Amino acid sequence: MEPRSHLHRVLSEGHFAVTAEIGPPKSADGEVVRKKARLIKGYVDAANITDCQTAIVRMSSIASAVLVMAEGVEPVIQMTCRDRNRIGIQADLLGAAALGVKNLLCITGDHQKFGNHPEAKGVFDLDSIQLLDMVRRMRDEGKFMCGEDLTGARPEFFLGAAANPFADPFEFRVKRLAKKIAAGAEFIQTQIVYNVERFRKFMEMARDMGLTEKAYILAGITPPKSFGMARYMKYFVPGLDVPDEILKRMKEAKDKREEGINLAVEIIQQVREIPGVAGVHIMAIEWEEAVPEIVKRAGLHPRPLEAEVRPAVVVEVEKPVERVEVVAPPAEEVPEEAPPRVEIPVEAVKEVFSTVRSSIESLREGVNLLHDSLARLERALLGGEVVPAEAPEVPRVEVKVEERPPVEEKPVEAKEVPEEKEVAEEKKVEEKRVEEEKPAEEVEARVEEKPAEEEKPEEKPAVEVREEKPVEKPPVEEKPAPPAEGVEIGSFSGEYRPLSERAAGLPEDLYKEPGTAFIREVEIGKGEKAFKVGGTNVLPFHLFEGEMRHEPRVAMEILDVKPENWPESLARYFADVLDDPAAWARKCVETYGAEALCIYLMGTDPNYLNLDAKHAREVVEKVAGAVDVPLIVWGSGHAEKDVEVLREVAEVVGDRGAVIGPVEEANHRTLGATAMGYGLPVVASSPIDVNLAKQLNILLENVGVALDKILMDPSIGALGYGLEYTYSVMERIRLAALYAQDDKLQVPFICNVGREVWKAKEAGLPSDETMGDQEVRGVLMEAITSVALALAGGDLFIMRHPKAIELTKLIIKELMQQN
Amino acid sequence: MIVAERKPIRRVLEAIEPYQRVLVLGCRGCVAICSAGGDREVETMAAALRLARKRAGRPLETGEATLIRQCDPEYLAPLREWADKYEAVVSMACGVGVNLIADLFPEIRVYPGVDTTFYGANTALGEWQEKCRGCGDCILDLTGGLCPIARCAKNLLNGPCGGSQGGRCEIRPEVPCVWHQIYERLSARGELDRLMNFFPAKDWRPAGHGGPRDRIREDLKMDK
Amino acid sequence: MAITIGVLCCHYTNQAGEEDFQGIPGTVIVRRYPCSGHIEVADILRTFEEGAEAVLVAGCEAESCHNLSGSQRAEKKVQGARKILEEIGLEPERVRFAFLPRLDTGPFMQEVKKTFEIALTMKSKS
Repeated sequence: MEPRSHLHRVLSEGHFAVTAEIGPPKSADGEVVRKKARLIKGYVDAANITDCQTAIVRMSSIASAVLVMAEGVEPVIQMTCRDRNRIGIQADLLGAAALGVKNLLCITGDHQKFGNHPEAKGVFDLDSIQLLDMVRRMRDEGKFMCGEDLTGARPEFFLGAAANPFADPFEFRVKRLAKKIAAGAEFIQTQIVYNVERFRKFMEMARDMGLTEKAYILAGITPPKSFGMARYMKYFVPGLDVPDEILKRMKEAKDKREEGINLAVEIIQQVREIPGVAGVHIMAIEWEEAVPEIVKRAGLHPRPLEAEVRPAVVVEVEKPVERVEVVAPPAEEVPEEAPPRVEIPVEAVKEVFSTVRSSIESLREGVNLLHDSLARLERALLGGEVVPAEAPEVPRVEVKVEERPPVEEKPVEAKEVPEEKEVAEEKKVEEKRVEEEKPAEEVEARVEEKPAEEEKPEEKPAVEVREEKPVEKPPVEEKPAPPAEGVEIGSFSGEYRPLSERAAGLPEDLYKEPGTAFIREVEIGKGEKAFKVGGTNVLPFHLFEGEMRHEPRVAMEILDVKPENWPESLARYFADVLDDPAAWARKCVETYGAEALCIYLMGTDPNYLNLDAKHAREVVEKVAGAVDVPLIVWGSGHAEKDVEVLREVAEVVGDRGAVIGPVEEANHRTLGATAMGYGLPVVASSPIDVNLAKQLNILLENVGVALDKILMDPSIGALGYGLEYTYSVMERIRLAALYAQDDKLQVPFICNVGREVWKAKEAGLPSDETMGDQEVRGVLMEAITSVALALAGGDLFIMRHPKAIELTKLIIKELMQQN
Repeated sequence: MIVAERKPIRRVLEAIEPYQRVLVLGCRGCVAICSAGGDREVETMAAALRLARKRAGRPLETGEATLIRQCDPEYLAPLREWADKYEAVVSMACGVGVNLIADLFPEIRVYPGVDTTFYGANTALGEWQEKCRGCGDCILDLTGGLCPIARCAKNLLNGPCGGSQGGRCEIRPEVPCVWHQIYERLSARGELDRLMNFFPAKDWRPAGHGGPRDRIREDLKMDK
Repeated sequence: MAITIGVLCCHYTNQAGEEDFQGIPGTVIVRRYPCSGHIEVADILRTFEEGAEAVLVAGCEAESCHNLSGSQRAEKKVQGARKILEEIGLEPERVRFAFLPRLDTGPFMQEVKKTFEIALTMKSKS
């Protein structure tokens, strides 16, 4: 039989075939396709042109095939069942054949759900096997599907199909392959092979059924481009089997691309040894430049036969061919009948020079950046300008051990045991300008081992608010901070007697009940400034019965656009930097000692300014360049928009280990995948409900996000706006996690406090007699909300006001010291 | 049963915007069983509409009634009397009820109160799943009683696609791959060879792609 | 500014009488049910129709519900009512559920007060 195509000829003559994949562009730019074709010309026997792969709209396969032919590469067009019914498919295939296309790969196609038009109606009039059968009968029997005669020229395709040796049920995979071959498939391209052992088994079964005699099987090969891509394929692409060994090699490799190519070459060499493997199909996704290198190193270059591609239609070449840019095969390998060489036109040369020049430019920028970082490092290490990230001096607690009558040890049964159970601690926070108000907050940390029989009225643990000047000023004031006389934070005073002392005489197990599990530890950021949250097995600050490996942390919030409605009492701290995110970030870190930053991309909200992903990227890039503390990037909360924005942002902060979010049920798949690709932790936001929070964690886990990459955002309510509700939901979540073995909830909390507090009406009302001072009120509202939520289990807080942060941290610090 | 879901109330409000007196009409058939359009849901819908309109300063009067079925002309008869009292009807029945009212009572303005979603089974308390698509040419005899038309995202007829992994569909991890289930079912019965048979392309006319479908049972029809 | 709130409760959550509600500076619509599981979404919405700014649904603590899961069902109904309130442009926080100890009027009245505070906030916002 006369071969139906060049690819067919290569295979039928017994050569080990090489095909590659060309993904058409998401535009009408034919030059993209031509360029990709030129890149691989001479290195492959044919090139597959995908048909809107992963259901994303791209230039059509058939039209791209014609462009590819014009470059002298033989195309294999792909036809999916997703977008056309039997009428459309037959019509398009007649057309393709008339245009000179000789190879056809019949596939069902990725479901539209995964693409950029998930709303589309999927056609699926036929499945891939029915499609093969239909085309075979058009070709061999001259019949349309309906049975009518096809008179005149028939579509003489060399027919191919796909096979996935790694999908389930495994035993059925070979049978399905047999069905495809029986329906008409003459060559098979398989899913990407990383697990060579499993593929070997598949081939063995195929051989046993005699399939390798009936069809040519080409193994799918993909060089991983990065560790992130390998991981993405492992966890997110259904039907792909990536062994841990591959991940490990990619992770450890210094030059990821080099290692990717090595891996591909090794796999080619291994599959080549398997009997029945007739060739390889290289899918270098968005990395066509890798193909020549792989083919060369695998010893498959030069190709044995030269393709004679004669497009039925000659496509005019608009731009002169830029031969210079192409990694062209060595001259001696250019086939004798190569098309006449085009003289190098001046335009092309100019373009080359400008490319080189811009590369030098960016190199220079890189060097400058390095200089800057070096200088910063030097300053940080050798003094000069000390970055007060960690406050060097913190107000100390004055612990006076009050003398009490010694407690006699008595048997537990004794009812009238000591009255000392009453007071756990006494604390005083002194504050200026909050006058004879009732205690604004009560830091009650009462621990009652037994129901108190009597109350001792004279001892009340409370934060007293006095009119005195604070005794100690926190060190953050050293810097010439902006108008800061508004609120000053005092220190704790009072005494604390450890529970062990107070409970002396009682058996420990009577009052100690640590949880049965630990909250997972999530690492925020990377490098020196990174920290962990979580890692506790007790209710917050119950240090007497268990451990809290990490104290609750605070991230300072900055916005991507200048905020419009911040009360003056808050805005004045940042007045000079509000319209420059980078300066803002620097101020937070350098002046206010922020240990982490949260960039809230409010401007991208479609209901607000609707700024695009590029804007977000720029802002995040600037901030990332300005500071080295861990980052949290918080999208607008619009599920769809956030996917677009955070994907872009993830690229920038990928190696910073930044936290991204909020991830909701609506976008958990896509954002989960993005986060996994870069190994980033995510904020899982659910609307203040135990079960919804848990469900989202489960969903994220299902798509492959590990629980120790999740921070739960329970959607909090500020003081006066549902704080109690939040508290109770968080408490219930934490109890379930620690005491009811609910492992899906053993995840730290992140609480977005600042935003909720500062949008409350009360935070912005002017100072008056009833409401008191505006700033004091706002600061207290924010600090109380955070502290209350810390008591409910909050692990990471996003806050705005420097003073509120100071107060919160002070209280947390004190609570952490008591044990 | 036919499964339905309450329409967003905003949409219903938009539909009845011009009217002051509206009848909310439930159905005791499928939609009552799937808790979308029975007595309770009628009460809820009516109360929600009234409340919204009251807040908007344009109070609404509602009537509430639930018929035994809305897909049979004889049960719709009372509407003839009620029609004068109301300016519009919000039907909480499936789309069949809305259509039949519109067919029989051209003078009545009828609007849907639910979205009709699928033919499904009540698989757990508060949970319904699609099991049939009414494609008019049942092939369940060949697939162990499990339907690849209704339950496979790509309507495949010749076995699972490459996205089937661990018995799960690639569409959503909580959805089982029906072809995997069919494979296991037939495998347990020793009938795997059934799957080796080529399943030809389906004729979609009985599924509704040949225009609206009807059914005639001659022995029941009365000649006029 | 007269403020009305609604209280739909299981009969066993309290023994509050007329005088208990006198401390609330507004109108309290009280409806008692043999079990909170009996309270329907429509009942909640109707209470709003009657002019309530906020509604409290009170049932017994989960483990002490006489009908085993009555109060848990009621909590879900409240979720359903919240969803509808949101759809028609009202704040979902206007309706809340409280699990209460049996026949203890104290905690019950505290919840009533909280509900009143919510009503107050809602009224002042609108």
